[in-house]
Amino acid sequence: MATETGGEQRSEDAGFGRVSRVRGRVFQYLTFGASLFGIVSLAVLLGYVIWDAAGLNTAGPAWYALALATVVAPGAAFVQYARRRPQVKSAAIELFAIIVGGVLTGFALVVVLAVIAGAERWFVYFLTTALPLAAVYLYSRTAEVGWGGLALLGVTIGGPLLGSLLMEPVSAVGAYIGSPAIFYLSVLVPTALLVRSLVDDRLGLGQGNNAALAVLLLPVLAIPVVDTVPLVDRSVWVIFAATLITPVGLVLWKNLSDSRRRAGLVGPLVLILGLGALAIVPDMLNVAGPSPWFDWQYLSSSPSQTAERAGLYPAIIGSVFMIVLVALLTLVLGVGSALYLEEYAPSSGPMGAVTRLIRINISNLAGVPSVVYGILGLAVFANTLGLGFGTVVTAAFTLSLLILPIVIIASREAIRAVPDSMRDASYGMGATRWQTIRNVVMPRAIPGILTGTILALGRAIGETAPLIMIGVATTKFSPPSGLFGKMTAMPMQVYTWASYPSAAFQHGVVAAGVVTLLIVLLTMNSVAVVVRNRIEQGDY
Amino acid sequence: MSQETGSFDLRGDRGYQDQRERVYRLVFLACAVLSVLTTVGIILSLALPAIGFFEEVTFSQFILGTRFSPKITPTVFGVLPLVFGTLLIMVGAAAVALPFGLFTAIYLSEYASTGRRAILKPMLEVLAGVPTVVYGYFALVYVTPILDAIPGVELGTFNALSASLIMGIMIIPMVSSISEDAMSAVPDALRDASYGLGGTKFNVSSGVVVPAAASGIASSFILALSRAIGETMIVVVAAGKTARFPGGATELLGSFFKSTQTMTSAIIELGLSDLSGGTTAYKALFAIGLTLFVMTFALNLLSDVLVKRYQEDYN
Repeated sequence: MATETGGEQRSEDAGFGRVSRVRGRVFQYLTFGASLFGIVSLAVLLGYVIWDAAGLNTAGPAWYALALATVVAPGAAFVQYARRRPQVKSAAIELFAIIVGGVLTGFALVVVLAVIAGAERWFVYFLTTALPLAAVYLYSRTAEVGWGGLALLGVTIGGPLLGSLLMEPVSAVGAYIGSPAIFYLSVLVPTALLVRSLVDDRLGLGQGNNAALAVLLLPVLAIPVVDTVPLVDRSVWVIFAATLITPVGLVLWKNLSDSRRRAGLVGPLVLILGLGALAIVPDMLNVAGPSPWFDWQYLSSSPSQTAERAGLYPAIIGSVFMIVLVALLTLVLGVGSALYLEEYAPSSGPMGAVTRLIRINISNLAGVPSVVYGILGLAVFANTLGLGFGTVVTAAFTLSLLILPIVIIASREAIRAVPDSMRDASYGMGATRWQTIRNVVMPRAIPGILTGTILALGRAIGETAPLIMIGVATTKFSPPSGLFGKMTAMPMQVYTWASYPSAAFQHGVVAAGVVTLLIVLLTMNSVAVVVRNRIEQGDY
Repeated sequence: MSQETGSFDLRGDRGYQDQRERVYRLVFLACAVLSVLTTVGIILSLALPAIGFFEEVTFSQFILGTRFSPKITPTVFGVLPLVFGTLLIMVGAAAVALPFGLFTAIYLSEYASTGRRAILKPMLEVLAGVPTVVYGYFALVYVTPILDAIPGVELGTFNALSASLIMGIMIIPMVSSISEDAMSAVPDALRDASYGLGGTKFNVSSGVVVPAAASGIASSFILALSRAIGETMIVVVAAGKTARFPGGATELLGSFFKSTQTMTSAIIELGLSDLSGGTTAYKALFAIGLTLFVMTFALNLLSDVLVKRYQEDYN
């Protein structure tokens, strides 16, 4: 309001038309510049780190020309084409997200089921826990029995117990049929069933049975081809057939039958072919290419004092293992808390005060520094409960508590967004509160909850300070052996290497670690964005 | 429910269902209570060892001491150098985050078209999503050499300047998103009144919207300060570990160019050196943690109160 008198005086001698127009323009550009500042700074820094990780300093001009021709130009052309065609854009994003998400899911499954648990042990828990859980869930859905939820709870607790009792004989059976067969039964067969219902019910394409048969038969028929490829053994192939090839096939099928979206499939395809060409052609033409730090050797070897041989493998496995546990814990606890606060908690009376206390408490917990959570984990989980310093469980529990407030806040918003009229309709039909939650509230709130949870998991996977406090090893040469095994994590390894003074580490190995971490984060965020877009389209 | 018998069972089997409802209610209540237990756990796990620490070092020695040297005997545990380091970094980060965050919020709320907002907002969120250890690496490996190349600037390998600048960039979205919420909550009637009096867009934004959203903006500033105080990895990686307390004004400014230790990085250093416990240095970790917790908690509470105020004003 202070400008009022100034403006009045000026308007007397300068006329109305010239009132502080320049000042307004300058201010507008100033605010615009300010909003770009952070983004541009980060972009520059990311440019530096990608330059370092890819070792682009050794690449000659011919390589850049090739890169321009094979990747940049086709990519830019496609983006230009897709810009004004929302259907094409959405199909391209869908395929791209499915490919990247499928690769990462497959990788996570291989790590958790084959590397950490081992095929035979997984076989036991599959038979005693996962299979009964699925059976009970499906039965209670179709038969509408009242005891479904409690039975699920019972199986969740009883299954693992039974599994550890029957470990010896059942894992012997597992060893007899072999690990590819185990993954075929436990991963590919459920995928085929899922595909059948998806094709018939959701996508409305018909031919669900044929699709399921294709999922079951094609990977087996392809085994002679797969056997000739090094690095991919049959178990890995079966798992990736379920997580990557099947979803990609479905997306292709669905979009190919839609003429408006068909063109979108070209984008990711062009990108993949271009990258493939860029990997092969420079060698054939003898063009000086980049010497990347971020390569297969880096992802598959253990840390080393020699920069050229250093790798991130144990840290990647540790991070994946930990984040899977954190995801399970926070989803259950976060959704439970949010349901209580939104659906059950009384807002008045003496219990209302407790509700308010819990709400304020959660928003305050979200502001507690992460290093303090580290101290909590150290005192409670490592020392008092004796879960061990730097073990996977301690880390998972600590990080779960850290992101729980974020998950609860996001879940509450998602649950609150379900209109009350739908709840009232359900109550009006005589449904109980739990039936209303299960059949009305949750199906509509789940996409929002998942988005919030994935974003929070992104925070958890990058956290370092709490891990240091609970005594996670700075360098470890093998992946964790189990829940109570010692672990290390990607950000932990980045932190350790960043203190090595040699340039090969600072500008090479660490840069590659940063790029790995950022790729994982980017994927998680784009999955979250895809889920969120689904909600906005109302197509769930 | 799906009883396809001839007579309808309108009474239903509520006895069992009531039991089930009660069980679920209790399960969900237990989940919600876990968050309260977390707070209790945090306070206990900080306070109990801190009490042990204050049996060995008096409270006034800790809170008023200007030297912090936990490793070399004779050990001294004055927290002031760490508080100074923390505030130094906080001021540097605030110098970047507050103006840029506020201007970003003004642009997003008053000037940006819907399309630009839809692009800018997610990109700003990315700034807050990058892991802090990555920011620390950026500060150490890229920002420090760049700043060092400026003539007249003599930077150490580890210094407070690049750490606080990078931290400021990280905090921008926190300031901008909360400030923008506050500005969007300002009723259009106020804007229209100002336009009606002949105000330009600049007059409206700077003279009406910003003052009207003041409590929300203040709340975002305070939250950003709290975040800067609690930030750990950027400082650990890039700011070094020399606890210093300035003797005069020139030394105060010079501290920006040298290695500095904050409360958070001291906690990490003590935690890394000795996890088995028992020593005074180890217990000092909890006392510092308690100080940090109290400071951030007070700021968060203040920010909460301010947010409530603008929400009550306009909603």
